[in-house]
Formats: sequence, structure tokens, C-alpha cells
Amino acid sequence: MRPFVYERAEEARSAVAAVADRPDAMYLGGGTNLVDLMRLGVAEPARLVDVSRLPYDTVGVRPDGALRIGAAVRNSDLAAHPAVRRAHPLLAQALLAGASGQVRNMATVGGNLLQRTRCAYFQDITKPCNKRNPGSGCPAREGDHRNLAIIGHSEACVATHPSDMAVALAALDAVVHLEGRDGPRTLPLTELYRLPGDDPRRDTVLDPADLITEVTVPALSFGGRSHYRKVRDRASFAFAVVSVAAALDVAGGVVRDCRIAFGAIAPVPWRARRAEEALRGAPATEDAFAAAARAELGQARPLRDNAFKVPLARNLLVRTLTELVVA
Amino acid sequence: MTVAIGEPVRRVEARDKVTGGARYTEDVRAADTAYAALVGSAISAGRVRSIDARQAERAPGVLTVITHTNRPDFAAQPPTPYTAEGRMPLADDRIHYAGQYIAVVVAETQEQADHAATLVQADYQRTSPVPTLDAALPAAYIPRQNGLVRFPSEYRRGHAETALAASPVRLEQEYRTATLSHAPMEPSSTLAYWEGDRLTIYDSSQAVHTHRALVATAFGLPEDRVRMISSFVGGGFGNKSFAWPHVFIAPMAARVVRRPVRVTISRKQVFTGTGHMAATVQAVRLGADREGRLRALIHDSTNQTSFIDDRQEGAAGTTPYMYAIPDVYARMRVAKVSTGTGGAMRTPGDSAGAFALESALDELAYKIGMDPVELRRRNHADTDPVSGRPWSGKRLLACYEQAAERFGWDRRKAEPGSMRDGDDLVGYGMAGGQRMEHQSRARATVHLSDEGTAVIRSSTVEIGGGGLTTLSQVAAEGLGLPVGAVTFEHGDTDLPASSPTFGSLTSGSAGSAVRLAAQDALRAAIELAVGDRRSPLHGADPDDVVAHESGLRLRDRPDRAESYRELLRRNRVNSLRGDGDFQPAGETAGYAMATFGAHFTEVRINRHLPRVRVVRHVAAFSIGRVLNARTARNQAQGGIIMRLGAALMESQRPDPVSGRFISPALTDYHVPVNADIGEVDVLFVGEPDTNANPLGARGLGEISAVGICASVANAVYHATGRRVRSLPITPDKLL
Repeated sequence: MRPFVYERAEEARSAVAAVADRPDAMYLGGGTNLVDLMRLGVAEPARLVDVSRLPYDTVGVRPDGALRIGAAVRNSDLAAHPAVRRAHPLLAQALLAGASGQVRNMATVGGNLLQRTRCAYFQDITKPCNKRNPGSGCPAREGDHRNLAIIGHSEACVATHPSDMAVALAALDAVVHLEGRDGPRTLPLTELYRLPGDDPRRDTVLDPADLITEVTVPALSFGGRSHYRKVRDRASFAFAVVSVAAALDVAGGVVRDCRIAFGAIAPVPWRARRAEEALRGAPATEDAFAAAARAELGQARPLRDNAFKVPLARNLLVRTLTELVVA
Repeated sequence: MTVAIGEPVRRVEARDKVTGGARYTEDVRAADTAYAALVGSAISAGRVRSIDARQAERAPGVLTVITHTNRPDFAAQPPTPYTAEGRMPLADDRIHYAGQYIAVVVAETQEQADHAATLVQADYQRTSPVPTLDAALPAAYIPRQNGLVRFPSEYRRGHAETALAASPVRLEQEYRTATLSHAPMEPSSTLAYWEGDRLTIYDSSQAVHTHRALVATAFGLPEDRVRMISSFVGGGFGNKSFAWPHVFIAPMAARVVRRPVRVTISRKQVFTGTGHMAATVQAVRLGADREGRLRALIHDSTNQTSFIDDRQEGAAGTTPYMYAIPDVYARMRVAKVSTGTGGAMRTPGDSAGAFALESALDELAYKIGMDPVELRRRNHADTDPVSGRPWSGKRLLACYEQAAERFGWDRRKAEPGSMRDGDDLVGYGMAGGQRMEHQSRARATVHLSDEGTAVIRSSTVEIGGGGLTTLSQVAAEGLGLPVGAVTFEHGDTDLPASSPTFGSLTSGSAGSAVRLAAQDALRAAIELAVGDRRSPLHGADPDDVVAHESGLRLRDRPDRAESYRELLRRNRVNSLRGDGDFQPAGETAGYAMATFGAHFTEVRINRHLPRVRVVRHVAAFSIGRVLNARTARNQAQGGIIMRLGAALMESQRPDPVSGRFISPALTDYHVPVNADIGEVDVLFVGEPDTNANPLGARGLGEISAVGICASVANAVYHATGRRVRSLPITPDKLL
């Protein structure tokens, strides 16, 4: 690990200033991903600005029913919050599906959103990787990619985004609040992330000095009828092979509205707008759910060894929606 | 008579372990210690053209950087396989696998060493690697350098090809097992220091006497100049059975910097620097008649090995001993892959081999419409088919019967896919397991003190299996003492040489040595008593005196008794020493020895999201006498769970281009977590097997992990109608 300077930010403006001047400075949240990457030599910041003690550590409900989630809130605390469990069970479930109790106790909301891909080649500095070392190539295409992307990827990069929480937030139209060089601004979460195209270096549209301060989740009348399901290779403490976050509003056997996002199939938390479109006004039946899955996954371009993710994602969506109808 | 053997005594070191009092190798401190970090090769095949260590040498705290260009010479290459690699570390510029150590950075602190290690720049000349077993298969061969393998690479009885061709029912299939990592909690650690030409080495070793001899050879020292100590091992599973390169690097570096040097390998280096179970491809061909009697068996296994060594994973080794089949051919070949040399991992050869053979038997059972248990019963080997000798204490039929009953095998509907529970497909599967028992010379002393306590002295290592507890019970029973009155000095070459703590040797071999030592101490106490006029036992026939409640008494006269404490104090004897030296009878025993098991598994698989869940597993074992019901159950459950991991999730996948391991980390190399583990029930059917050894016990650690993968795969077939012949059985294979 490269030696680095550690400093603790006292307030957001000074944190932004501390990073804005220095291209080799990074924010530190819970450290559950960044510290690993530093140990691996993947991240080599010369300065860490610890933002985990900034006063963004509370969860509240706005008068309009929207959730306000401080960026420094620990994953465990957010998952346990009564408002989250009541109004957005899929968010609580997504959080609890991630990592282990110990990791969730450390991990922050802001850090969770910005965690890097688990692609083995990205994490191995002896290997080329276009994300780590632009233009060096992508060994995953020919190499081991069982758990990499089937949709939204590019020639240059086939990595997936690893977060569970972000998948639920993508489905819920969450908004990210930022403090940046030019002051505060907001961004829909689905626009925070960018597809790799021919420049996979950056996972997000953020400037290095942009600091996530808060995430808001608008009220959703049918948020209580929602579910996050995750398929993984073991029962716990494993990244998703495929996951889905879904909320469903059914009346008289017809889908009035829905929110759907997939995890672990794309470089970003994958909001399934085509599936949603196909479902609105459709009968709440398994056939309609399967058609919606096809509408979304028809765009999939699986790699040599991960075509199984297509039927797995389809089945996962159909089962999850079916259970929401019954629930 | 104090009955201690078999009792569910709690681990004698349990309190120390849960309170942090137990001292592991990493906890040992020596004044003025320097710390080493090992730099691994970035390429998997080629040469090191040059290494630029200047930046690393200038980094804070760095004492030296050792490479193949400036290392001191080793005196000799000690023998494999207990020296894990047949090439000493930093021997030359050749690279055989990714992660192979190319430089050693020694610094004042571990952090400084780790940092400087990242500054070492190597310039490589790459050659093209052989990345996978598949790529290497066409060049497979019978291993030339066989080492200490327990089975020949080829075995033949009768004419298997001919008998196969003549069999009315034939089956031919190929089975594959993945490369597996031991993934122990404790990364290997070595602390070495020199005092003149005396070397002390603390090492997380499963076998201090075995490894001391290797270190002595490497440094050209008589063995008595080297002391090796291994207090507790935090997970072995064979990972610490062999001396891996870091064990030799620590003393070498200590000599260079003239200070104690600590080497603790990184978590990633656990996966690349201390071995693995090599991947196998196994062809099984079975011939049988329609009544299920096996006529011919051909088991042909190839495992990957490194470009350094021909290390045979003996997957077909036990096959000839398992069933009463007239015509058998077994062959084991190796194929060179750009990967590290495989180690011994629970259970070497047998775990992989049983997956193939016991899966094939299941396939045959379905093919001829026979219950898989019945098929095995019909082919039961009443005597050892290889030597013709009677088995010593084989109760495999009882294993089948008792485990089947406990499991509820009679509820199984034969048709695959016929048992359902909502969206869950339910499957029942079973398999057998066998491991040839071997034994090793082992020595121990037992000192009986005038406090009425005893001390066992023996170099056995506590690797988590419970050996300190079971051996304490053996001594306690032999001397009529409570287990709490027995203490244990262990894991040190200054103590009498025990058997290595691997290969399931502890119960049978180390245990027998302790039993003999306890008997010897008892004999000394009896002699003292019957010759002492002041003893109530004076003049008695020594054969009539027995140990009883911390003392001696006449067998038939409870009133003629006295305590050890009275006896020894009156005679001003501080302690009586008993010696035990167990020498295996080996080939002269007249018996064939093995351990046996039967496994029954229930899986449930959601038909839409087919991740296999093992909800219930019942196993029965024939291992002779069980020394401690609690530790035995615990050890067997551990072995079963370890192999449930191999069945369902564990795979150290090589990068298909470079051969480098894809997932050398616990986040990505999945071992079962608690949520994966259903009910695991364990039965022991045995009674003391005194043909085997004086104690009547055979090993449990290894047999507990044989047959599980086949039992799971067979249950998966029963649930789904899909036969998965390649481990692990991940969801993608069932979609």
C-alpha cells in the first residue's frame, strides 16, 4: 500500500476544497471497498479525506413523504430504519442482502453508491484493464467472465456494478444530492452512473471533488408492495449473480404501475424501463411478466460463459412479480 | 476404573481459544524482529530478466531485498513432497506460476516491508503459459517423480477391458473436479532466528519433526541444531502439512539480516503459496450384469500439476480396494499447467475420486433400476480385494443401514423429479466413502507426578481437530486420572517425536503412543507400590493391580488401595516417567485397514432459481473406537461441510489465458457460510478395532470428507433429472 495522508473533514465545503485542489486525493467513507482497493494497489490516493463523520448521518421523512438519507448513514442503520422498512421494503431487503453484518456496520450510503466493480481483472494490477489503465485492453472478454455483464457493456469493458442498495434506489427514482466545486446540486441516481462505451475509466459522471451528501427517495404509493431478490452462489456474503428490485401496483388483475431494476447484469444498476413500459396496463399474469422480461432482456448480449444470466434474470423477475401479486 | 475415552469432554484448550489466551505462531514475539514481505511474480510463465530493487531498498525501514541474484545458497534441496516444491525459493530466474516468489523484502515493520514490496520492479521475459488442465490434457503422462505417494500410478487386476466388453450393462462417463483452496483462517506464519549455528523456528506447521528435518537439510545442519515449534494451528486441512517456500525463506532472511525474521504470508498468498487440491478429469467405465453385480471397472484420472513437480492427486488410488470387482484397472496421470504445485488437501485423492466413482455407481443404479444402497450392498468387498486380507473392523454395511434409517431413505420415490414441495424440487442421494488407513511411528512420554497429575510430552500439533483433548483422555483413562489432571506439552521438536498431524494419524498413531506411555508409567507406579513395604499393595502380583481414582488398587480388593500422591511422596519420587513408542505393524499385520463412511443427502432446488440447498445430510462412519463423542462429531461435521463447499460453490478458477487464479481472496473464493449449512447429522457405528492398534481407533479427519460431493450430485439428479458431472454444482449448470 502506498503511504498516504489521512485527514478528517469537519464540514462539507472544506472537504470539497481539500479534494478539489489535489488530483490524488479521495474521499473516504466506511472504507469497506476503498481500503481493499488500496491494499490491492488498484487505488493509490496520496490523501484520504474522511467524510464519514460529516453531519450527514441521519434518516428523515420530508413532509411530502420523501425519505432523506444522509450519505454517512451506515448500511445497517438504514436497513433497520422503520420508515424504510415500512415504505420501501425493497430498499431494506437490498441492504440486508449485501455483504455481512460487520461490513454493513461500516459501509456508508455514499460509499456504497461509489463502490467499484468486482471484476477480477480490475482488481488484479498484474493484468491489463481498460478501467484501471485505459487502452491496456480487457482480458475479461477472453478470460473469466461468468459473473460479468450481459447488457450495457462495451468492447472496452464488461464489468458489472456490485451494489445491491443502488439497484433498489434506481428502481425508486432516488435523487443524489451533491456538494461540488461550484456548490450544491442534485442528480437522478440513474443519471449518476454512466455506461462504459469506449471510456470505461469513470463509473459515474461525478467530478473527483463531488461529495455525495444525501440521497432522497420520493414517496411511492405502492412502495410497500416491493421486493428485492438476489441470486448468488452461496446463501449469504456473496455478490449477486443476478438481482432484481421491483415494486408493483396491481388493481383488478391489471398492472397500474411498477418499478423494476436489475443488478449484477450491467455496468450500472439497470433500471428496466422497457419491462416497466411493457407491464403498465398489462394483466398481472406470469405470461405478461415473462413478456416484460423479454422486452428488457432482448437487448442482452451475453458473453461466452454468462448466457445463463439471461434466463436467470427472466425467472427472477417473473418469480418476484408473481410473489408481489400474491402478497 | 475411570472411563475417559469416548466421553464428550470439552476441548482442553477451548477456554484459551475463546479468550485469546491460546498463542498461535503469529502471536509469538522475539526481540529485534524484522519483517519480510514476499513479492510474487506477475507472470505465470517465463523468466525474470532483471529486478530493480533500488527504490524498494531506499524505502523507509528497509533492511534488504533478496532475489535470485543475491540470495545465499541453500545447502541442499530437501525431499518432496514434505518439501512442497522441488525447487528452492529464489533458485533461479525461471517463473513457473503466477505469484511465485521472486523477491523478499525485509524491513523494520511489516507495513514498511509490504510497502517496499510494491516498489520492486521486475522485468520479465514472457513465454506462453499452459493455463488450464484442459489445455494440458493432451500431454498427460504417468508421473515420473512420484514422491511419497501412497498408491502406484497404475493398478491392474484381471483384464478390465475384456470384462467390460463382455458385460451386459456398460457405463462410461467423465467427471471433473475443480481446483480447491484450503482457505484456512490462519495464513501461514514463520518466525526464525539464529543463535550461532542453532536455528529456532516457530512455524504454523502440522508436523514439526517432519519439517525440522527438511529445514536442517536445506541449511546443512544436523537436526539437533534446529528447533521447530508449532503451538496451535489456525486451520490446517493439509495446507500446513508440507513445508512451503516461506518456511525456508524466513531462516534464510534471518541469516542475511542477522536478526529474527518473521514471514507471514498475505491472505492472497494463502491461495498461491501454500498449495491447493489440483483439478481432475476422471473417466470411469463400469461393467455390470443386470442384477447389479459389478464385473469390470476402469478409473482413469488426470490431475493438473506444476512445471516444478509431478504431484499426483491420487483420485483412483482407493478405487481398487472399494468393491468386490474381479477386473479392475486404475490409472493416475498428471498434466503440467502453469500453476503452483498442488498440496495435500482433505481428503487427498479420495475426495475427488469418490465423486467420480460414487456418481458413476449412482448412474448405474438408475440405469438398471436398482436402489443405490442395494447396488453397493451387492458389491460389498468382504475382504480387501487387493491383498485378499480380512479387513480390520469394516462395518460399512452397518453405516449404510444406520444412516439410511436415520435419514428416512425409505421415503424416497425412485423416479427423478418425483418429489416436490411447492416450487422446490426435492432430491435424495447417497454415496459411500473409503480411505485406506495408514499409520506412522509416534513417540510420547507421560510423567506421573506426586501431585497426582500427569504431563504428556509429545510433538503432536493441535490443528483444531481436538487431538490435545482426545490424547489427554487416553492418558487419563490409562492412569485412572480425571482429564483435568492431565496437561500436555505439544508441538515442539524438543519433545518426543509424535506422528505428523495430517493423514488422520493422530487417533491411531499418536494416540497409541500416548496409551503405551501411560501404560508404562502405570507399570512403574505398580512396581513401586508392590515393592514398598509401607504400601497396602506390597507384595501383590503386579498383574492384579489396576489404576483407580488417581491411584492404584487391587482389582478384587477395593480396600487395598492408595493414591499416586501418597505412594510417590512416601518414596520421595517427584515423578514417574512412562515411555511410549508406537511402531506400526504395517504389512505384517495380517489385516487390511481402512475407514469407511456412508452419506445421505437431501437437497432442495427452486425450479426457477436453481441454487442447490443441502437441507439435511446424514453420515455414518466406521472408524473403530471413537475417542471423544463431542470432538469426533465436530470434526466429522467440519469435514462434511468442507466438502459441501466443494460440491456447491468452491472453485479456484484459472484465468483461461494466463492460468493465474481468478479469485485468490475469501470474498470471491466462496466457502460455505452458516446460512448454507442445513442439518448435519453424524453417526459412528464402530467398536474398538484392536487389530488396528493398541488403542482400537482409526482416523476420522480424512474419511469424514469422502463421498459427500457424490451424495449431493446424486441427490441433485434425483431432484431434477439432471446429472452434473462437473463440480461445483452452481445454478448455471441447472438452468
